[in-house]
Amino acid sequence: MSYTLSATTYFKIFFHAAKHPHKQINGVLLGKKSAGDVIIEDAVPLLHHWTSLSPMMEIGLDLVTQYADSVGLKLVGYYQASDRLDDTSLVPVGEKIAGKIKQGFNDAVAFVIDGDKLGTHEAALIPYTSLSTSSSWRPFSGSPAPFSQNSSFKLALDDLPRRAVALVRDEHRHHKFGDFDDHLEDVSIDWLRNRACIPDAMIHGT
Amino acid sequence: MTTSLATALERLAAYRTNNTRASQETFEHGCLILKSGSKTKFGDDAWAFLEQLALASIDVGRLDIADECIRQLADKFPASPRVDVLTGIRMEANVSMDIVLQYYGQLLDADPTNAAVWKRRISVLRRMGKIETAVDELSRFLDTFYTDTEGWLELADIYTSCNQYTHALQALSHALVLAPQNPFTVLQFAETAYTLGDVPLALKMFLAVVDMSEHDVSTDEPPRGICIRAWLGVKLCSRQLIAASNNTQSTSGTVIPPLKKLKLIEELATERLLAAYTGQESVAGYVSAWLAPC
Repeated sequence: MSYTLSATTYFKIFFHAAKHPHKQINGVLLGKKSAGDVIIEDAVPLLHHWTSLSPMMEIGLDLVTQYADSVGLKLVGYYQASDRLDDTSLVPVGEKIAGKIKQGFNDAVAFVIDGDKLGTHEAALIPYTSLSTSSSWRPFSGSPAPFSQNSSFKLALDDLPRRAVALVRDEHRHHKFGDFDDHLEDVSIDWLRNRACIPDAMIHGT
Repeated sequence: MTTSLATALERLAAYRTNNTRASQETFEHGCLILKSGSKTKFGDDAWAFLEQLALASIDVGRLDIADECIRQLADKFPASPRVDVLTGIRMEANVSMDIVLQYYGQLLDADPTNAAVWKRRISVLRRMGKIETAVDELSRFLDTFYTDTEGWLELADIYTSCNQYTHALQALSHALVLAPQNPFTVLQFAETAYTLGDVPLALKMFLAVVDMSEHDVSTDEPPRGICIRAWLGVKLCSRQLIAASNNTQSTSGTVIPPLKKLKLIEELATERLLAAYTGQESVAGYVSAWLAPC
């Protein structure tokens, strides 16, 4: 079983973290299973404000689920970042959401951003998995290490982290990115698709 | 990025008034001003500007600029408690937390009334993961400095992050006593009550936010900003209460409005939310589907 993150997915997670460096953030991952492997095609960002409170999270999840259906994808995972560099645990809210996603997609995965490594050439994502919907989530401890050669966790292209840094630093693409919290302040923000932040070449499939 | 000095000065002044933490922008504008040497045009604001730039520089990892700002402040204000706190924050960037705690401890021994240092120490404890100690100290701090609204909000945040929603609500009640006009605190209370599972209380507080924010607005204008969250909360809660009929418990003993009123409230929420989404075809479909009767 392997998990592959598309460029769009990786960039959106990166932009979300880059936009709110001193806050906790979270969001969900959309994708599908293909020939036994999980392809994570997109990320939809949820909150950067009151991330432990549930009402807006519940509404956001309902809306994402509808959106996923409409584009032929499923909810396959969750991601979060802590406001502290040294904290790479999956927070209680994260376990809850990941558990819910696992009820609809048995191979669900959760990623915690490694704040220390984010911005280097490394993927800086720590995968968490669980054995069943009722067991707890643990960091993946198998080998090879996630995102290294031949690992079951891969990025669609090796240089995505480097490209993500460039997109933020040189083009400020994260300013064109909005999550559900942003959308609730301004409903014209397209938090479900977030097309504006993705380089044109990628949208047209190159 | 070419920004005129005047724009930069204005932007930074606005950030100071609103206590905004836009560190990258502050750093860029601030360096512009520092380099131009026009700091003297600020008058008394010059020192607040240096403090602001120091904090932003620490945030973006430019400790060299932070050190320069702090040096100028220390020269101008020797033995100032405010500069002491800034020095502590600078230390937090790259010195071990134990040493920083010692430093704050010494400052507090010398002056137990220095609230700012005490708060820094509590935030360091929280960052080190010493949650129980942080909560103990924060509670003692609030016994002494009851009117520190920020302290009550921080306490609520710590409790929420540990799933202790009842304690979070208690802390938020104190914040509400101190700042009853702030709709964001009422909203936080509403969302926390919902997370706790007290839907009637959440509904009551979501409606309070709407009341505070839409009071002067004509009903022709669609809801904006905080009202969208509030109306979404009203819809979420009223729908659940209607579905549960009479089987809802409220741990706070909040009275549930009669069914007829609940339905009217839910209808109104739906109407206001549809109004908010007029013209937003790309998402309106999903929202309408969510708003529709189950």
